[in-house]
Amino acid sequence: MKDLLVVKGLKTWFPIKSGIMQRTVGHVKAVDGISFTVHKGETFGLVGESGSGKTTAARSILRLIEPTKGEICFDGINVSKAKGRKLRKLRRRMQIIFQDPYASLDPRQTVNSMLIEAMKIHGITQSRSEAHEKSLKLLNVVGLSEEHLYRFPHEFSGGQRQRIAVARVLTVNPDFLILDEPTSFLDVSVQASVLNLFKNLQKEFNLTYLFISHNLAVVHHMSNRVAVMYLGKLVEVAERDTIYNSPRHPYTYHLMAAIPVPDPEFQKEEVLLTGDVPSPVDVPPGCRFHPRCPYATKKCKRKEPLLTETDEHWVACHYDIDFESGEKKA
Amino acid sequence: MREKNYVLEVKDLKVNFHTYRGEVKALNGVDLKLYKREILGLVGESGCGKSVTALTILGLLPENAYIIGGEILFKGEDLLKKSKEDVRILRTNELATVFQDPLTYLNPVLRIETQLIEVFMLNKKLLRQAVIAKKAHGKNVTFSSLLSWKNELASESSDLKVSRAEIKKMAKHLCEDILGLVKLPDPKRILRQYPFELSGGMRQRTMIAMALARRPAFFVADEITTAVDVTIQAQILHLMRELRDKMDASTIMITHDLSVAAEIADRIAVMYGGNVVEVAPTVKIFRNPLHPYTTMLMKSIPNVKKPVETLKSISGTVPEMINPPSGCRFHPRCPFAMDKCRKKRPNLIEAIEKHEVACYLIGG
Repeated sequence: MKDLLVVKGLKTWFPIKSGIMQRTVGHVKAVDGISFTVHKGETFGLVGESGSGKTTAARSILRLIEPTKGEICFDGINVSKAKGRKLRKLRRRMQIIFQDPYASLDPRQTVNSMLIEAMKIHGITQSRSEAHEKSLKLLNVVGLSEEHLYRFPHEFSGGQRQRIAVARVLTVNPDFLILDEPTSFLDVSVQASVLNLFKNLQKEFNLTYLFISHNLAVVHHMSNRVAVMYLGKLVEVAERDTIYNSPRHPYTYHLMAAIPVPDPEFQKEEVLLTGDVPSPVDVPPGCRFHPRCPYATKKCKRKEPLLTETDEHWVACHYDIDFESGEKKA
Repeated sequence: MREKNYVLEVKDLKVNFHTYRGEVKALNGVDLKLYKREILGLVGESGCGKSVTALTILGLLPENAYIIGGEILFKGEDLLKKSKEDVRILRTNELATVFQDPLTYLNPVLRIETQLIEVFMLNKKLLRQAVIAKKAHGKNVTFSSLLSWKNELASESSDLKVSRAEIKKMAKHLCEDILGLVKLPDPKRILRQYPFELSGGMRQRTMIAMALARRPAFFVADEITTAVDVTIQAQILHLMRELRDKMDASTIMITHDLSVAAEIADRIAVMYGGNVVEVAPTVKIFRNPLHPYTTMLMKSIPNVKKPVETLKSISGTVPEMINPPSGCRFHPRCPFAMDKCRKKRPNLIEAIEKHEVACYLIGG
């Protein structure tokens, strides 16, 4: 498959300033060197706990936040170096759906003007009637109708707002969508219909998704491949079934075991992690998971493992651990 | 009869809220029973009335709410008929709560120690007895041993002089012990810290410890795992399961997440639009959901262990509570809705043994 997005060594650090001179005293290492590729037409899931840097990574890819270091290539074009017109052209092709549909829509614009504004900026349509036609069509695609066109955001429910956000994004004919926790603000009974909508749109418009969520069951439902992030780094990247059924990194293993299963008769093994995610300001030395890892050794405290590949399965761990017996090989 | 084992019984509870937009009919006749030492999962989407139910039981409703009707029987007495002061005393002694966001409920300017000791100091009599037990009988007093003392309080009294300092020392000792019980590492250090120094999971454990310190008979856990990460959620659920075996408390666990309820609850009550629509033991309700809403809700959540290509979605949205639908509040979204459903609300009846449902499709 063709690579649509290639991210190499992406770092986004936020400076911490202090004192009257506002000197930089440290950095929040929100994203600390991640590399991955997203193939054309797939859904690439990015999971991690809060504070692991998922959203910062997404925004850095779109350059909504300026990355500190690293290279982002979209369809062969270097995003990190693009400027002016070139960047604007790229922006049309790479779009994002935000988490909170109550904050991402302008309360003073009708749905119609929101949809048309985006098309105007990018010169998608030639005439007003064409723009109107297109916004009507897209509104139908996302499951709304003409009567909704002249209403304001406050007249809609959360699920409907998210659909409007989707319609707005689709007006500019994007190739790649970042879905940043698109259903976490929605009710469970509405979530399913929005997830189904994303799946249908992907087929209809040939979209490629980067799907970000902390809800592992939702990511499982949506993704082809999944990357697990911990404290600004990727610890494991693999095909969905591989990563959910036979994870190789101890963090992934514990994360998967912690997913609550909506079936009381499912016999779950109790494997619990101790402690919390450390602060991204002073990251533990060596492997950043070592303070919580039950398999950690001296080596883990000293040396940071690299993300290495065997058969399309990327893992950042010094050891090859058999989680059932607890044995580990170097 | 089973009835003797009820700790709490809520009957036909109706609560409205005054707002400038109109009357919000939040609870539309809620029926609930809570057995001794069980965990009841109260499940529903936002705005269905789960939290309002809990707040009404605890007597913590805001000023603009008023109770239209119903009863809440706790140990045979109607809580709604009691004075505010009586309910407050009951809250310190028997009813405990942990809310979703622990940072809001901990005092930011006091050390954990100060806040936790305060809870223990509410019952000086008990502390005094603990000191006596330690001094006179050489017993090793832990929080767990206090739990089993509940009934033999009177017999432990003695004339031994106990100083204030000794009581305080005992309270401090118990603080350390209870933090250990909720699996917080290094209790001594945590006691000296302020809430902002703790992580979300640790704060939530501190809140649980504070609630347990009163040795409550009834415990409400309102979305306690919603604000924490999956791995921490697993830890807290594990803790709750452990505590159930140690404590003498009945728990209402409020959650919007069916999977969380599946992991921890003995029974599950599903709420929709201000009503309990189905109650059954956890395994039964998952094996054989009877209410159309429960059935559809279960099919709409992705399950990692049983993946499907497309999820079944429920059309429409959660009802607006100012002008709620007539009759059964689920009828506008229900594929099986009949004329009857639009006119009158079905009652919660026991359809199969221990399995109650409010739907005309299943009698009612």
